Amino acid sequence: MADKLKNSQDVKPETKETKDAPILIQMGIFAGILFVSSIISPMFPASFPVPTPVIGLVLLYLLLTVHVIKIEWVEKFANFLIGFIAFLFVPSGIQLTASLDIMRAQGVQLVATIVISTVILLVVIAYTASFFIWVKKTVFKRDVSVQE
Amino acid sequence: MTATQTMIITYLGTPIFGICLSLAVFLLGQWLFKISKGFFLFQPLFVGMVLGIFVLWLMARAFGVDTTWFYTNAYKPGGDVIFWFLNPATIAFAVPLYKRNDIVKRFWLEILLSLIIGLFISLFLIYFVAKTIGMDNNGIASMLPQAATTAIAMPISGAIGGTPAITAMACILNAVLIYALATWLIKIFHLTEPVGQGLGLGTAGHTVGSAKAIQLSSAAGAMAAIAVVIISIVVDLVVPTFAHMMGLIH
Repeated sequence: MADKLKNSQDVKPETKETKDAPILIQMGIFAGILFVSSIISPMFPASFPVPTPVIGLVLLYLLLTVHVIKIEWVEKFANFLIGFIAFLFVPSGIQLTASLDIMRAQGVQLVATIVISTVILLVVIAYTASFFIWVKKTVFKRDVSVQE
Repeated sequence: MTATQTMIITYLGTPIFGICLSLAVFLLGQWLFKISKGFFLFQPLFVGMVLGIFVLWLMARAFGVDTTWFYTNAYKPGGDVIFWFLNPATIAFAVPLYKRNDIVKRFWLEILLSLIIGLFISLFLIYFVAKTIGMDNNGIASMLPQAATTAIAMPISGAIGGTPAITAMACILNAVLIYALATWLIKIFHLTEPVGQGLGLGTAGHTVGSAKAIQLSSAAGAMAAIAVVIISIVVDLVVPTFAHMMGLIH
């Protein structure tokens, strides 16, 4: 009896602990999804473009939701990529070198509009969401508490 | 082609120059951010961008070649290698989104309504601001699609009479600005609600905004990831209609 108890205690943490898939397999899953997405993307008409990574995000999300792909098969590599996304964006920033002429011509106007637009998008969307959540809470009496 | 140009292509035309320069300016940015104890203008991405542009401009002058030519032939091969990894990195946001599927299931209607109506209000405000600042129709049209990711915003911009390159610039600056200012903006506008924070950051700052939102809370991170996807599709549908309404296209 005691032996059995000891055994089950030994086994339990191991089965509970999720096992990450090897990193090469995680990369393989990402590559596969990217490949399929790059085939789907050109099927959309030119007037309604949907780029490859957006399709890939939706595809991976759906595969996770229907449990075809397990979270431990992709989580580690996903966190790794998200962790250095600011660096991945450096070439996009430096790309503005090619637009220095536009900047010289109407830079102040442009930058001012873009700065204000960024603030508008952030604040308006956030306030609109808070408004709808407030409506849900006060008009429809639903629980809107979110665990952070 | 001059001898200098041939020399530049031979020695700097391989991807490694662009990769090294990107790493160098970004690491310098991280170091500056650390020793300045987090001064917002020293955000690594912002420093990397400004310094990178400055170095390329300086080198182009030193070699006596055109800056855009130097960028395309010396930096871009390496820049493109790093840039490519934004593809899997965007897909990676499916993971934080899936992990907070509870919020998606509870708030899907609010998320959808906020993004559609919020975008409409934003478009009116952006139109008004651009007009006040004195932009012409071409400039205004270039500003409207910036909530979408670059790959969607650029063709839409062209379709409504804008300049795709200017729209791309707007999308890039959005991300850099959100990365640098998000914490401060959230504080001064009292954006306390995690669903609102996430949707706002994902819309205004795209993928980089999502990375910022994850630092706030897993709930905000998931909402930012879903905002990036939905807002892109909403922009696809809403912006041409809006441009038509305001008489930018006929």
